Amino acid sequence: MHAFAYVRPATVAEAVAILLAHGPDARVLAGGTDLVIRLRDGSAKPSVVVDLKRIAELRPGIREEDGHLVISATTVMTDVAADPLIRRYASALAEAASVVGSVQIRNRATLAGNICNASPAADTAPSLLVYGAVVVAQGPDGTRRIPIDEFFVRSGVTTLARGELVTAIELPVPTGRRGAMHQRRTRRRGHDLASVTVSCCVDEAGMTRLAYGSVGPRPVVYADATGVLADPSADREARLAILEAMFAGASPSPRSMRASPEYRLAMLRVLGARALQGAIDRLHADGD
Amino acid sequence: MSAPIIGSSPNRVGGIARVTGQHEYVADILVADALEAKFVTIDCAHARIISVDASAALALPGVLAVMTAADMPQPVPRFGPQLEDRPVIAVGETKYHGDPVAIVVAETRDLAMQAAALVHVEYEELPAVFTLAGALDPSAPLVQDPSLRPKDRFASTNVLREHPIGWGDVDAATADVVVEHTYTFPMVTHFAIEPHAYMAAPDGDGIAVWSTIQHPNWLQKVIAQVLHMPLAKVRVFAPDPGGGFGGKQHAKYEPLVALAAMHIGRPVRLVLTLEETFQAVRRASAEVRVRTGVNRDGSLVFEDIVADYLIGAYADIADRVVGKGSYPAAGPYNVPNVRIMARSVLSHTMPSTAFRGFGNPQVNWAVESNLDEAARAIGMDRLQIRLHNLARKGDAFIPFDTPADGHWEQTVLRAAELIGWDSPLPEGRGRGIALGVKSGPTTGLSYSTVRLLGDGSVVVFAGTSDMGQGARTVFAQIAAQELGAPLGWVAVVMGDTAVVPYDQQTSASRSTVLMGNSVLQACRSIQKQLSAMAARLHGLDEAQVTMDRGVIHLPDRDLTVLDVLVPGLGRLGGELTGNGEVRKDADPTHPLSGAPAFFEFNCTAIEVDVDRETGDITIARHVTVSDVGKSLNPLQVRMQDEGAAIQGLGHTLMEHYIWDEKGRLRNPGAIDYRIPTSMDLPLELIGATIENEDGPGPYGSKGMSEGALLCISSAVGAAVRDAIGVPMRDLPLTPERVWRALQEPSS
Repeated sequence: MHAFAYVRPATVAEAVAILLAHGPDARVLAGGTDLVIRLRDGSAKPSVVVDLKRIAELRPGIREEDGHLVISATTVMTDVAADPLIRRYASALAEAASVVGSVQIRNRATLAGNICNASPAADTAPSLLVYGAVVVAQGPDGTRRIPIDEFFVRSGVTTLARGELVTAIELPVPTGRRGAMHQRRTRRRGHDLASVTVSCCVDEAGMTRLAYGSVGPRPVVYADATGVLADPSADREARLAILEAMFAGASPSPRSMRASPEYRLAMLRVLGARALQGAIDRLHADGD
Repeated sequence: MSAPIIGSSPNRVGGIARVTGQHEYVADILVADALEAKFVTIDCAHARIISVDASAALALPGVLAVMTAADMPQPVPRFGPQLEDRPVIAVGETKYHGDPVAIVVAETRDLAMQAAALVHVEYEELPAVFTLAGALDPSAPLVQDPSLRPKDRFASTNVLREHPIGWGDVDAATADVVVEHTYTFPMVTHFAIEPHAYMAAPDGDGIAVWSTIQHPNWLQKVIAQVLHMPLAKVRVFAPDPGGGFGGKQHAKYEPLVALAAMHIGRPVRLVLTLEETFQAVRRASAEVRVRTGVNRDGSLVFEDIVADYLIGAYADIADRVVGKGSYPAAGPYNVPNVRIMARSVLSHTMPSTAFRGFGNPQVNWAVESNLDEAARAIGMDRLQIRLHNLARKGDAFIPFDTPADGHWEQTVLRAAELIGWDSPLPEGRGRGIALGVKSGPTTGLSYSTVRLLGDGSVVVFAGTSDMGQGARTVFAQIAAQELGAPLGWVAVVMGDTAVVPYDQQTSASRSTVLMGNSVLQACRSIQKQLSAMAARLHGLDEAQVTMDRGVIHLPDRDLTVLDVLVPGLGRLGGELTGNGEVRKDADPTHPLSGAPAFFEFNCTAIEVDVDRETGDITIARHVTVSDVGKSLNPLQVRMQDEGAAIQGLGHTLMEHYIWDEKGRLRNPGAIDYRIPTSMDLPLELIGATIENEDGPGPYGSKGMSEGALLCISSAVGAAVRDAIGVPMRDLPLTPERVWRALQEPSS
């Protein structure tokens, strides 16, 4: 393993100062489920690794605050998946968090780390997109709230600036009823990287949000405010046309080993339809 | 005496150490002053090595050596179980992606890795072949230097050898219906959880070698030859491997590590990463064309099989895999006319080697799948066509060979019953059934020594490698049963060539039969000595005393071992020693150089559910039934069958090597090469055995451990075809492939 310095700041301000000083030579360590692999295989060679786990302000936790669910940066997937607030208000996120990696990985991997890697296949990204999550980042110039749709650029690249650190992820608490579902496609049932991810959320006002990932450079979200998608009795062709317009943004890589572009595009349609139907069913059953 | 130990399932000997992390694998063994080694490889398959510049690596403090072919004895030693074609390190050119150009030896593993990255290799990429079509093209570059086999008519091609076998007259035979298709089987790796690891240390005027090897005695010979040492000066330690599956049978990098250790004069260890293991061991891929002739009554008229196996750049044991694996390709059926032509085809890929099933699963997938097509063509039930043609016990289904050695129809009927073959099929589901037969060991030589110590405890010396199959437990059970000792009073010593007598190899599901018989023989020798002792002590004729299962029978009473042993040995104490030797010599007149000691026979029946939108296969019910003669340890037998079945689900459903256009392996390691997890298992997995005590092993046992893997793909494929109505002829049956099959207009 390449040699690097390891620092364990006690405050966010201290961490930000280190990140500012080292820029891309610094790598943040929370769960380490991606970073440690990269350190071992040499694909990441930081000069300094900044461990967030001793920062009191970032202590793991999920709380409801001013109409938001606030998920701190060191909260792990296991806790996201099991949290009663998340399960109640953001069930698609709970579903997505519960299929990331394996049990051991979910016990270490953080939600913030998942999105900061900005992998197009990140399991939690589509659900965060349909829920309109906000990424809270602290930097040298203070705190910035970045809508999640403006956070992802492409694999490994986000809109975080030098010295900025994600401290929390916020989800608006819904004011009305809604239903949501997360779907993914993998090569096996056991833990695997997804070749298609889809989340769909339908609310009682008829708004449908559908987001997908792993079929392009970054996860994307689309909305239908016409109420057509949310209405199973609406004209089938009209519904399909809206979905097709949403799926037009997919451009899967022909180089991927996990699935061909044709299969991914076909599965995006299958999973998209299943997620939509599941979301509608849940809306009419007991809500999200 | 207490209840028989044979036929019971005591705790696995060594099991606690394994599950608590106490077991010492080669990578765990601490040896003072041991150095660590790392390969230098290049990012291409076939290349001419122009120069190697190690100056930057050697400048690092703590780097002791960077060795290339130039630093080896000249000519560079070559070795191999079939042909001595494999140099200890790449000579002049690399032959496959991952072929080591140099080995770096340093004080620590990190340092070795760092140094390896600093070695600069200048090379020129050369044309290469990675597929059967590419290798068989008349203009293809030759993988092997023709001078390595000067008298061979194939020397100027990439065909290593042909293996024709057959009987009857296929060309003259006429059948009502002929079904012909081509099937492919992917390249897959063993994925033993323990990484392959090697260590060598100068040892006085000899050498000690540690390896994750299945065949320590064979390795001892290779090292002795490479180092020009007598066998007695080469001590091989072979700690129980953490999974082998055939991948650890033969020497790989031990000769290189031994040469490095002798060169430097210190112990050197090399532990392969999982990724490097992918580049070290794999199963041969294959393309198999089958023409099946069948009459309307279901009788098979002929099987005409052409099987090309893509082996690697060096033969290893791969050509034997091709010859022996394809030999029973027509299956356990009475087929009057059979023609099999199998070829081992060299390529610029890592050498393929033995892998559980030994070349049988490839042809089984093709021939059993084609038999299903034949049944459909004549409108016959797929179970009935099998029962109709199945060899009954004593039938010479391969005319010049060991006849069918079991009541195989019992196995098939049991599987059919367990899957509910005749019950209505739930909507959307499909069922398949397939049979597998594999020739057991054709030669063998297993010595053993058993010592009955003065207190009645027992030490068994047996050169088998216990890589998880449970050989230690079975040998301990045999000794305990025969010598009347509690199981906990039996120690089994393995894996040290300086201490344990010679065993040819741990492969072909042989150890229970061959080494088991050897241990039994050694125990019986001690029984004779005890009987003689008892006769002497009690003034009887030896003929009046008998012994079985740890009890010594006098005309008027029974005695325990200790009743005889303690007074018999007398004041000085001591021990009784018995030796076993089981030898199965080669038969040069036999196509395989020997008739099999037994057949492994299995029937697998599968019920699947297929998601027609995604192509996902769910195995709702998986039945695997094997004819094992007698389960000496029923739990271990069941675990072996389950393990083989699940391992086979890997190449059936998901496992395959992916190459780029330059012959570089794209998916080494666990991320993009998927093996089944617990979540991928069948919803229901039912194992059963047929036990008529009609095997050649101890107490009527037969070898087992590969059977449940032989026909798994065929059974799953048949079930999927039944569910979706479209045949699948290429493994693995990934969701994407099933989905594609469903997109075909015919479906």
